[in-house]
Amino acid sequence: MATFRLQGTRVLAVDLAGEAVKAKNGAMVAYDGEMTFKKMTGGGEGLRGLVTRRITGEHMAVMEVRGTGTCWFADRATEINLVRLTGETLHVEASNLLATEPALRTGTTFTGLRGASQGNGLFTTTVEGSGQAAILSDGPAIVLRVTKQTPLTVDPGAYVAHTGNLRQHLQSALGWRTLVGEGSGESFQIRFEGEGLVYVQPSERTTIGGQL
Amino acid sequence: MPFTRINSKMVEAQVHPGQRMFSQRGAMLAYRGRVTFTPSITGGQGGVMSMIGRRVANEATPLMVVEGEGTVMFGHGGHHIHTADLTGETLYVESDRLLAFDGSLRQGTMFMGSQGGVMGVIRGQATGQGLFTTTLQGVGSAAFLAHGGVIELPVTPQRPVHVDPQAYVAHRGEVRNRLTAALGWREMVGRGSGEAFQLELSGQGTVYVQASEEKL
Repeated sequence: MATFRLQGTRVLAVDLAGEAVKAKNGAMVAYDGEMTFKKMTGGGEGLRGLVTRRITGEHMAVMEVRGTGTCWFADRATEINLVRLTGETLHVEASNLLATEPALRTGTTFTGLRGASQGNGLFTTTVEGSGQAAILSDGPAIVLRVTKQTPLTVDPGAYVAHTGNLRQHLQSALGWRTLVGEGSGESFQIRFEGEGLVYVQPSERTTIGGQL
Repeated sequence: MPFTRINSKMVEAQVHPGQRMFSQRGAMLAYRGRVTFTPSITGGQGGVMSMIGRRVANEATPLMVVEGEGTVMFGHGGHHIHTADLTGETLYVESDRLLAFDGSLRQGTMFMGSQGGVMGVIRGQATGQGLFTTTLQGVGSAAFLAHGGVIELPVTPQRPVHVDPQAYVAHRGEVRNRLTAALGWREMVGRGSGEAFQLELSGQGTVYVQASEEKL
């Protein structure tokens, strides 16, 4: 089995013995042993995947890394978080997904208007199955639990990923202040309801909503 | 004199009379005691001929001489700092990554093309590192900069290490480097994995790799 371990907080070491892992294109920083890198295309396999990618624009550039030895991955000095999945689904922005174990399946889902406000397009990547996934966050991510009694609202620019059975919708707090250019910078928020975990980073991507 | 870490982005060095230190110009953050900072016109050690050598090699990052008695704190651009204590071996590092080093270390310039011939030249061009690199040899300490922290990977004769040229920071010891290209038809049609060029390091020593693919 491929084993994922963190070396520090910003470098992921993956030990391989002949199997393949999927990783973000170009994220390899070093390896020993024998490795081959082959570009794959995200959004699912086959012709259906191709069409999905064309329509959704969520073409996560993925490469398949196969070989024996250790491979180290890192991306622009961002922090890496390991997530262990046991059958549930992880929703993550394509740009925040670093690597997944071979047993995990990746796909694309529609997120609605929320995506546009996040500056990430209307679609998001899903990871399903059992195994480990490594996700990226700009600064150390915090994990917030959402329960039925305590819904959670996050800034679209700080949202990284979520797992569990969550419903999400975008809420806007546009008022006359925003229109005259005196907005608080928090005009759009994503509200999560249900049961699950939300990963939030201590940094905000530039989003349309963030300007208002 | 070894550097003392204050945090991941700041180091402190003791300066004693009669001992010189070199540092990147403008990298001093604070100091205690009586310390003077003199711009080094020749850009380091070895007189005018070495200066011309460095200018030609484009490895002439402005340096200053730190002398006196006291403690000096160094840092630059919010980058992570890594220190290496040398006991006779050679450290190979790009001049713009070099933050500070002991005056007891011999500074030199090495033509990368001399290792690996034509591929060495291509390596410099492909990685944007130029054809030359700075070497430090002797007994002493050096501090260098990296974006996002550094991991040290050992290189042994049985275990060569391949590094992404953009993530490569420095190496030490008896290490040979060679640029390997894994170009296939996929790269030609623009569907490459982004890992077409790799730096193969073999021999005995240590390679420093940063957690980012950004140059300084």
